[in-house]
Amino acid sequence: MEADQAASEDEPPSLLWGLDPVFSAFARLYIKDILLMRESRQVPGIYLYKSHPIFQVDILGTVVFKREREDFYSYGVDDGTGVINCLCWKAAKWKEPEESFKAGGRAASSSSAAGPSGGFNIEEQLRRLRQAQRGASMLEIGDLLRVRGSVKTSRGQREIMSSNFYKVSDPVMALQISWMQELPQLYRRCYQKPFPLSDGEPGTSATTAGGQPSFSSLLGRATQTLRDFLREKEVRRFRPYDVEHLLLPLVPQLPPLTGSEQASAAGPSVPSHTRHLLSETLRILQQEGTLFRRVLSQDELYHVTEQDKDLLMAIRDVIQQDSKRQKYAEKGCHILHILSSVRRRYSQSLSREALEVALRFLESSSDIISTSNCHYTVV
Amino acid sequence: MLPATAVYHFPWELKPSAIAEGTSVRTFGRLTCYRPEDSTAILSSHHASIKYQVSVQTSCVEPFNPLCGALYIVLGEIENTEEGSGVMLRARVMNCVDGVDLALLQKAINEQRSFFQKSGDNKGSTSG
Repeated sequence: MEADQAASEDEPPSLLWGLDPVFSAFARLYIKDILLMRESRQVPGIYLYKSHPIFQVDILGTVVFKREREDFYSYGVDDGTGVINCLCWKAAKWKEPEESFKAGGRAASSSSAAGPSGGFNIEEQLRRLRQAQRGASMLEIGDLLRVRGSVKTSRGQREIMSSNFYKVSDPVMALQISWMQELPQLYRRCYQKPFPLSDGEPGTSATTAGGQPSFSSLLGRATQTLRDFLREKEVRRFRPYDVEHLLLPLVPQLPPLTGSEQASAAGPSVPSHTRHLLSETLRILQQEGTLFRRVLSQDELYHVTEQDKDLLMAIRDVIQQDSKRQKYAEKGCHILHILSSVRRRYSQSLSREALEVALRFLESSSDIISTSNCHYTVV
Repeated sequence: MLPATAVYHFPWELKPSAIAEGTSVRTFGRLTCYRPEDSTAILSSHHASIKYQVSVQTSCVEPFNPLCGALYIVLGEIENTEEGSGVMLRARVMNCVDGVDLALLQKAINEQRSFFQKSGDNKGSTSG
């Protein structure tokens, strides 16, 4: 239980997921690991295997279960470690062969009867090609199937929504044997190694080998803690020293600095790595749009986007007034237009991400509505 | 709804005492005898100079083209026989894999097993 809780907080922040090469690849995991992966708390639909974000997988296994529906096949695939359901969509062109075969057959027979003997009949060849392609996508129990697709959980069951699947011809098990030998190596080299971090103090990365949490997982925890705090307390504005205390529980896990600076929760001086962690956390939250700074000055005052009533009112006024103008009446105001107007009215340093967060918030409370991907108007 | 996972087992590991009834397994052997009237087949294999035999109930996979002397991979559930001479396997999948390198297959299965064992040990010793 405790290990699970600690692991669930051990997520790298979603903003950094793109840095992990495993995230963009179709991960070749054992089916039992795919079934046991936990879902991310930050983004539902993405799963985590040992702090690697995964949403696409590649499996090879025997078909042990088959169900056919009008639009798709549902194959149960067993690779020796687990069984998972794969949804394999039927290509639209496979539905036509019945009619085109009859038409083609008639045409072929009529043209071959009428045309020169021994000629190359293109329709006949196309028909045979389509049949061969169709054969490769129709499998029976016992066939070997290769599936690449995204992981989904539906009705409590984990499934793979395939983007690419085909029957594998492996008469002497060469492919299966090489797969069995390759996976442990892949696990050792990639999947079981921790999430690679791009920056971070050399001190912390040196201690990750010893079992200490890496900086990126610490960052994930810090951003989540701060987000939860700001939401629960409905904080409108704050300065960094107001929220430093939230990160102190995470500090004992950082390696203590050599010298006089020791982590003391009650002491007035905060160790420099807590400050570094705080500044990185605030930077990430600003990039996301959760926070923004209205005035860029020496005073580090952060506004929480969703709680800033002045900002929300300014956005609403801009959209209301401009929607009355003929230019925007039909389609609504484009987000860049809203951004420039609000910047003039409210804050020069407002970022597009913060504006998007505010617009989403206003839309969820039904003050405005989006007419298209980037256009908004009043309700 | 989905059947249970069929883990690889070597034919010499399929003893009535070692495996519980109803377990799904995957194993291999050479087809030495096939009786269509009973839907039973016998798969034999050699290990350390001992001949091992696995009886297979083939009613669910018929009709299949039986090639006597060829290597087969069979996937199915264990059923203990009354004779007590060996285990019976009710086959769900029976594939001919004649030409497979058995030594390489054995090596791959052992590599996979040792990998699982090591990861299992690691999980137990450290947290997450």
